[in-house]
Amino acid sequence: MIKVNTKESNWSEGMTVQDLLDEKQFVFKHIIVRVNGVYVPPEMHAAFQINDGDNVMVVHLMAGG
Amino acid sequence: MEARRYLKNYAAISVTEQSQLAKKRILIVGCGGLGGYLLEYLGRLGVGYITIVDGDVFDETNLNRQLLSSQMNLGKPKVLAAKHRMLAINPLVHLETVQENLTEENAASLVKDHDIVLDALDNIPARLLLQRTCKEVGLPLVHGALAGWYGQVCVIQPGEDLLDLIYGNYDIEQGKELETGSLSFTAGLVASIQASEAVKLLLGKPTLNRELLAVDILQSQFDCIKF
Repeated sequence: MIKVNTKESNWSEGMTVQDLLDEKQFVFKHIIVRVNGVYVPPEMHAAFQINDGDNVMVVHLMAGG
Repeated sequence: MEARRYLKNYAAISVTEQSQLAKKRILIVGCGGLGGYLLEYLGRLGVGYITIVDGDVFDETNLNRQLLSSQMNLGKPKVLAAKHRMLAINPLVHLETVQENLTEENAASLVKDHDIVLDALDNIPARLLLQRTCKEVGLPLVHGALAGWYGQVCVIQPGEDLLDLIYGNYDIEQGKELETGSLSFTAGLVASIQASEAVKLLLGKPTLNRELLAVDILQSQFDCIKF
């Protein structure tokens, strides 16, 4: 299991950040991802592997008012 | 007159708390989608002293969501509409309007002499400037932002830098692409949550604490992300 935005979520061997974003339908154009507090830039989403027990934070980057 | 005006508040806010709110001073930075609703909610509620800051004028693209905009005031200052609106809905509120945008030069003088600050801005550099200024002056900041169906709110206590965690990897070039649209109900929703957090701060009640309330109304989800 991993945590995604503080909620428990299923983990599978080889899961990448992009897999997780696809599974959770995070389709917003601008997204900030941190794994265990470390920022993962968009160009790394497809390659960055998530490990069992990781804490993932996904935030939409928005600024409108 | 005053007692009747606030009669429907009293099931949720005590008479004593209502009196406390009448003495409080808040600053709303931005008078657009969020700022217009914040002024409406907090002015109707009875916060005594409100300053609202915005150097902009209304244009047609504001009409889809900005409460204070109308066919009649296109091209007119947003803060002028704020003044007219508050006089119409609650003249007990002491409203100060400042027709300026937030800058490095005016930020500290705008922020001082308030109890709390509400971030109703529309761009990241200004939001980070506001956070930095609130930190220097030692005031809490209630942040709200939106994009399309998404919104977020957090309370930044004096000395904290939560926006750095959210926007820390932002770069100016990416910021140009961030104009992802704003919907009327998202602006109203985010402003509602900001207003409620502001009132809790003013009354010494627990608020969001080192967490971001992230709202995705397309999927009907509210997430509280702990930092």
